[in-house]
Amino acid sequence: MNAADPVIADAVHAAAAAAPPAEELPNFITLLEHLFPKSPMVHFLVRWENIVFSLLILGLISYTALRAARKQGFLPKGVQNVWEIIVEGIEAFVTGILGPKGIEHVPFLGTLFVYILLQNWLGMIPLMKSPTSAWSTTIALALISTVYVQWVGIKEHGFFNYVKHLAGNPVGVLGLVLVPLMLIINLSIEYLAVPLSLSLRLFANVSSEDKLLYKFAELNVMYRGLPFAFQIFANALVLLFSLVQAFVFLLLSTVYISLIMPHEEEHVSHETAQETPH
Amino acid sequence: MEFFQENIHLKEVFVQLVAFLIVFFTLKKFAWKPLLRIIQSRRERFENEWGSIEKTKRDVATLKQDYQTHLQKIEEEARAKMQEALQEGRRVAREIQEKARAESQDSFEKAKTNLEIEVQKARISLRHEIAELSIHVAEKILSEKLDTAKQEKKALEILQELEKKL
Repeated sequence: MNAADPVIADAVHAAAAAAPPAEELPNFITLLEHLFPKSPMVHFLVRWENIVFSLLILGLISYTALRAARKQGFLPKGVQNVWEIIVEGIEAFVTGILGPKGIEHVPFLGTLFVYILLQNWLGMIPLMKSPTSAWSTTIALALISTVYVQWVGIKEHGFFNYVKHLAGNPVGVLGLVLVPLMLIINLSIEYLAVPLSLSLRLFANVSSEDKLLYKFAELNVMYRGLPFAFQIFANALVLLFSLVQAFVFLLLSTVYISLIMPHEEEHVSHETAQETPH
Repeated sequence: MEFFQENIHLKEVFVQLVAFLIVFFTLKKFAWKPLLRIIQSRRERFENEWGSIEKTKRDVATLKQDYQTHLQKIEEEARAKMQEALQEGRRVAREIQEKARAESQDSFEKAKTNLEIEVQKARISLRHEIAELSIHVAEKILSEKLDTAKQEKKALEILQELEKKL
């Protein structure tokens, strides 16, 4: 730990010296910036910091998943085994909520879950950063999820019925009078409130996790001994809450899909919606 | 509004969207579907093989039952046959015993009759002898002079002789 101390201390100072006070642990890009403050390449990396780490995760996911799928062994081994566990677990979870028809949504929800989970966890690795601690990342994911859900709605109901559903399924004169109000309410909920809540929850949680890690690391640099135990505790918390946040994103996306799907599954989705007071 | 502008970089959002969508569609086609297919086919194969295993087990159980009933039948038959043989043996033994008893009775009877015949024969020959002897005694008495005392004495001697012979 002694050998690493100056580096960490330097990094903390560097972070503190940056114009907006850094609230996260330094990653290799901030170190590069500290070392080569004038390089345009480094400047580019700093500008696209979140994207760089996201692409890292996307590359990892693509590489392992494609390798796993190419093997096609009857007895899965190594990477195939890992991916089959993921696929089977997500399949069981999604079809448990959506019924057997939900298997067509497994690729989308699964990719989303694995992607978010690994992005959340990436912040725990030294010199890495969680891209999900930036709102730009999470809002993109939330928008994708929202559009996917509405697209499923249009596909399942047909465009006319989908619009009717948005207008609150008007019956009689009163229903017709209420159409504009229902449209405004439904549109604002489904296209504004849903992505906002999804993205803000994830972004706020992950960025506060990162801040927590940063604060404990700072304490570790300032004081010896006790803060280290806190740091280990914080790491365990981050490990757990990252998983919980990724899971909540998956769960809510699944529930939104189940809510917009035709009514035969409605009782199931109601049950699950009641069970998840997130 | 400032908060949004500070935290949301539209270019970043756009790149993130595009990157995720590219990866999603690629993985959907080349990873998720094959993996789901593999898992499904494996599940089906397991179910089929499990079914066939269960069927074979049931077959084996019925076969075992059949064999057991067969075996029981065979055992019962064997027992019955043994019983039969035992009874036959007993019957034969009884018959042999009876036969032997009858034969021994027979030979006993025969021996008895033979003995009686012999006794009769002996009696007859004795009678003849007695007669002969009497004649002989009479001859002697007649050939000698009739002396009463002497004759009496002689007769007594002869009788004694006869008694001794008998």
